[in-house]
Amino acid sequence: MSIEWYLVLAALLFAIGAGGILVRRNPVVILLCLELMLSAGALAILAFSRMTGDGDGQVFVLVVLVVAACEVVVGLGLVVAMFRRRVALDVDETTELHG
Amino acid sequence: MTAASWAWLVLLFPLLGSMVIAFGFRRLPARTTGIIGTAAIGLAFVAGVGSLFALLSEPSESRYVASSLWEYAGVGELRIDLGLYVDPLAVFMVLVVTGVSFLIHFYSTAYMESDEGYRRFFSYLNFFVFSMLLLVLAGNFVLLIVGWAFVGFASYALISFWYRRTTATAAGMKAFVINVVGDIGLVLAAILIFRELGVLDYRAVFEAAPEAFTTNEWTIVAICLLLLVGAFAKSAQLPFHTWLADAMEGPTPVSSLIHAATMVTAGVYLVARSWTLFELAPSAADVAAIVGVVTLLVAGTIALVVTDLKRIIAYSTMSQIGYMFLAVGIGAYSAGMFHLMTHAFFKALLFMAAGSVIAVMANNQNIDRMKGLGTAVPFTGAMLVIGSLALAGFPLTSGWFSKDEILDYALYRGDWYTWLAIAGYVGALMTALYAFRIVFRILPGRPCPEAAELIETGHVAHGEPVNPVTGAAEDYEVGYPGRDHHVAEQARGMRIGMGVLAILALVAGFLQVPGVTEVVKNFLEPTFEGSPLAELHPPVGKAWLGLFNGGVIAVVGIALAWVFWVRRPAIPEALQTRFRPLYELFLHKWYFDELIDLLIVRPVKALGQFANRVIEPFVVGGIVTGTTTLVRSAGSLVRDLQSGMIRAYAALMVLGTILLVLYLLIGAA
Amino acid sequence: MLSVLLWLPLAFGIVALLVPAGRAWIPALAGAIGTLVVAVVFWAGWGSPGEVPQYAESVPWIPELGISYSLAIDGLSLFLVLLTALAWVPAVAFAASRKAGEGRERLFYFMLMLGESATLGAFLASDLILFVLFFDLMIVPFYFLFGIWGRDRDGVGAGTATMRMIIYTLVGSLLMLVGAVALGFAAEDASGKELTFEIAELIRRGIPDSTQYWIFWLFALAFFIKMPLFPFNGWMPDAYRAAPLPALALFSAVLSKVGAYGFLRVVLPVMPDAAELFQTAILIFAVASIIYGSVIAFTKIDLRLIIGFSSIAQLGFITLGIFALDDTGASGALFQMVNHGLVVVPAILIVGLIAERTGSEDLGPMGGLAKNAPILAVIFLIVTMATLALPGSPNFIGEFLILNGTFQVSVAIAIVASSGVALAAYYALRMYQRTMHDPLPPGSDSREISLRDGLIVVPMVLVLVVLAFAPQIVLGETGEAVADVVEKVGSAG
Repeated sequence: MSIEWYLVLAALLFAIGAGGILVRRNPVVILLCLELMLSAGALAILAFSRMTGDGDGQVFVLVVLVVAACEVVVGLGLVVAMFRRRVALDVDETTELHG
Repeated sequence: MTAASWAWLVLLFPLLGSMVIAFGFRRLPARTTGIIGTAAIGLAFVAGVGSLFALLSEPSESRYVASSLWEYAGVGELRIDLGLYVDPLAVFMVLVVTGVSFLIHFYSTAYMESDEGYRRFFSYLNFFVFSMLLLVLAGNFVLLIVGWAFVGFASYALISFWYRRTTATAAGMKAFVINVVGDIGLVLAAILIFRELGVLDYRAVFEAAPEAFTTNEWTIVAICLLLLVGAFAKSAQLPFHTWLADAMEGPTPVSSLIHAATMVTAGVYLVARSWTLFELAPSAADVAAIVGVVTLLVAGTIALVVTDLKRIIAYSTMSQIGYMFLAVGIGAYSAGMFHLMTHAFFKALLFMAAGSVIAVMANNQNIDRMKGLGTAVPFTGAMLVIGSLALAGFPLTSGWFSKDEILDYALYRGDWYTWLAIAGYVGALMTALYAFRIVFRILPGRPCPEAAELIETGHVAHGEPVNPVTGAAEDYEVGYPGRDHHVAEQARGMRIGMGVLAILALVAGFLQVPGVTEVVKNFLEPTFEGSPLAELHPPVGKAWLGLFNGGVIAVVGIALAWVFWVRRPAIPEALQTRFRPLYELFLHKWYFDELIDLLIVRPVKALGQFANRVIEPFVVGGIVTGTTTLVRSAGSLVRDLQSGMIRAYAALMVLGTILLVLYLLIGAA
Repeated sequence: MLSVLLWLPLAFGIVALLVPAGRAWIPALAGAIGTLVVAVVFWAGWGSPGEVPQYAESVPWIPELGISYSLAIDGLSLFLVLLTALAWVPAVAFAASRKAGEGRERLFYFMLMLGESATLGAFLASDLILFVLFFDLMIVPFYFLFGIWGRDRDGVGAGTATMRMIIYTLVGSLLMLVGAVALGFAAEDASGKELTFEIAELIRRGIPDSTQYWIFWLFALAFFIKMPLFPFNGWMPDAYRAAPLPALALFSAVLSKVGAYGFLRVVLPVMPDAAELFQTAILIFAVASIIYGSVIAFTKIDLRLIIGFSSIAQLGFITLGIFALDDTGASGALFQMVNHGLVVVPAILIVGLIAERTGSEDLGPMGGLAKNAPILAVIFLIVTMATLALPGSPNFIGEFLILNGTFQVSVAIAIVASSGVALAAYYALRMYQRTMHDPLPPGSDSREISLRDGLIVVPMVLVLVVLAFAPQIVLGETGEAVADVVEKVGSAG
């Protein structure tokens, strides 16, 4: 299979993730979409890795996955904390960090 | 010991005295500080005599010593040493200064006895003497300026001695600021000398000057005029004279020492010291002579009308210094220095006598109120008469010999200098008039209440503790006017101080009798070696003729004064009404204060207000506000992007990514 | 071991953060004294004036960008380093004696000591970027000191005043950063060698004229704002009125000198052609500052502002001396920087003492303190006389040399500048007279200076007195270094 298909899939996944972040307001869904984008990136790297035939890309992707996992942990932790403090689970409402 | 080592000792004693009194002011008993202060000056006088003999033991062509302790400041070509220059002129000044100072210190130990600031007074007074000696002994122009400014500072401190009187502090301020203007003149002169000659030591300057300058070249004239600014400011010559009358706010011994006998004559010393420069710039020397003459006339007219006892004497001081400037301006250096010396004696004496009178009058200084003091304080009265005789130039007194020597010389030089001499004679007539105006108005007659009280009870009357100018209550805590003052009659220290000066005022003239004894001239000769003007001497016959003229004028003046103020008191009053505008002009001191206020003080204040109201808020503040506003508005622009909306950030990121990708794609294509 | 000297204050500042708040002043004071001792040791080991630099150390820091951590002491910086080390001692002691930094003492003393390290750094740096860095770092602790512990006066909040000051000065130093970077690259281009910011190397390489001309103004602007000179003094009045006294004393005495020092250290040697070309323009700025500062001081009654505006006039004199481009003028300027620092610290601390007695810092309701406080009066009198440069004070020698230098360039400017001396006599003496002389107003408590306060104020006054007798102590050491700088300007044209 030519590399284009992998890249098209990755691009699609990435676009879906990005679109989701832009339109959804629930932090859990945003986190989901973030994961989707990360996976898209990982997929693209894997595809290139196979194309060039060395293992560096695979290592890289493993690191990305670990980082993604950490990120989810922190993100979900934040969501839980918001829930506990009875903050509305809506990213448009939580804007205290504005300048 | 060499003359230089003696000179260092001359400087050391007063400084030490001042410091010992200053540091021990809490522990030392008041009396002791007076003794220390007086003794320090006495020792300085002895050291001065030591340096006199050391100098006289040298042959006359090598009668000068320069000595330096260490390098004071040196940058590149510029080298300034902490050094002295001792020659007959310096020693002459040292002897006059320390001698008169010693007597005035002695007088002050009694005069200031009831003053709370007794210790402070002696510390200041010793510091003044130190500064004055530094001024006359300095070996280069920079050290001269240091001494020059130190005497100005000491004068300020002593004028504002009773520092809770607003009139005294204002007078001190005025004296100080005018003197600083003079200092600037000297500083610029020194800088100009350095630029032209590359040296600042007296001897080097005087040796280099004749080769470097042609006569009346603009630079040397500028140097001399700048020196004169300093000299006029210090010596209260027009137009820098206004501070001197106000300086009478200080205690009377201060007026006597600083504002009559020593400091104010520093300008004359400076011109005599720099005669080499002034002879290269005859136009500047003429300026000195003319200003001297104008001052002596103006001051004389004012002295004729003011009624404050000390101020009359102050204006007479200005007028006498005018004579000295005339002398050194036309080249009669030794005559000028001689008059400086005799003036120191009789003027110090007059002020001391005035101090005694003021004490009797319970600090009232208005001669309108004084009457019959001759019977109340006969000794003081006698002193006043002797002082006035010498001031008026009565034959055989010291003033007669010294003043008329100057005028003789002016006549002898001929040309337009004759006019200066004539003006000098007019001034002499006024001098005799105002000197005896004091005598005839306050000594004879029925005693005024204060004098009567003294005669009856033997005690001095107590004054009203109110400042006569402002009406504010006096603050006894800082001394003024002191709970009680001493009468010369009753205090031995004052009697001795005045007595010695009275003798000197009477006989000092015999030091320099034309054709007989010319001690001063011969002694000063080495300093003025090589000056064609100093060589010039009226023949003995002419000199005696001049003395005769002067004597006649003095006698006529005294007789006129007798007519005006004893015989026909109606005449001066009639003159007052007749010449009202002139009288007003004199009474307001020719409106110099108002003029200076209008020309200098107000414009500076207005400039300050303008700067405050307009430049500061709009220009200076504008630049800041402009800058900060710019920075802040740029900041708030960026700040608005920080909305806190996560999705907005994400959208921006996506947008940025898309733009980046597009850019790359287009670039690749 | 210049690094010891440089970082010692900060080390003690960090210690101050760790001890109990009530005792935070102890390490700070110990640090200030220790720094002074180290600085004096450097001075004692000073060789003959000719050797330059006397002490130096240099380590590459960011080699890719040519930035190195290089420090040096030479004739230009020696006495300013000593002044800094000396000034911090009474300031910290005064702060400690007045329980300054209330509420957050630890932070207060940390900031104070950070300020000392940064200031020393600016004087010691011999790498241009390092200099710029310390120049900026210097302002940071003072931002906190003024902003947190300042007072609000006449409706101007301490925060607002400080913010104005910080923005204004940072704009200046930002311009200077641009200039510094540009200098490095210009020198690289001109010489074809690799990038460096060592000042000595920049001087060797030389900068093309046209580049010098615009970079010169970036530096000049930064220094003018810092000193400040008219018309860039807009931040000064409010900041001066807001600042806590010990911090203000340091700011006015030491920090303002860094700008003038920058001219001698960087501008003149690195950009000699520009200095020569713009000499007259700068002289006019300087003389305008003298007149402007003096006439405003003439009208002010707030003691802090009188001192503030008189500093503008003094810095005008200093700039005048530097840009006379003559060795006497520049030596006088450097000497005057030291003198002015020595005068201002006691002057400002005495303002504090006076305010404690009269309850005011305005001249109006004051007077007559000399009666019960003769020693305080004498100390203040000496300081006043030095401020107005009475001949015999070291300041007079400074002014004399400056005027002498200026005279060689322009007689007119020298004469206008000397009128500033007369104005100074008036406003300085008025300050003394209205506080110590004149009638005592009701309600003021004219007590004598305490032994403790005496120990804080007197040492600096003593240094002044010693310098009065022998200004050569300073002039002898600085002369050659200054002449070196000035010669570069002369020979470049």
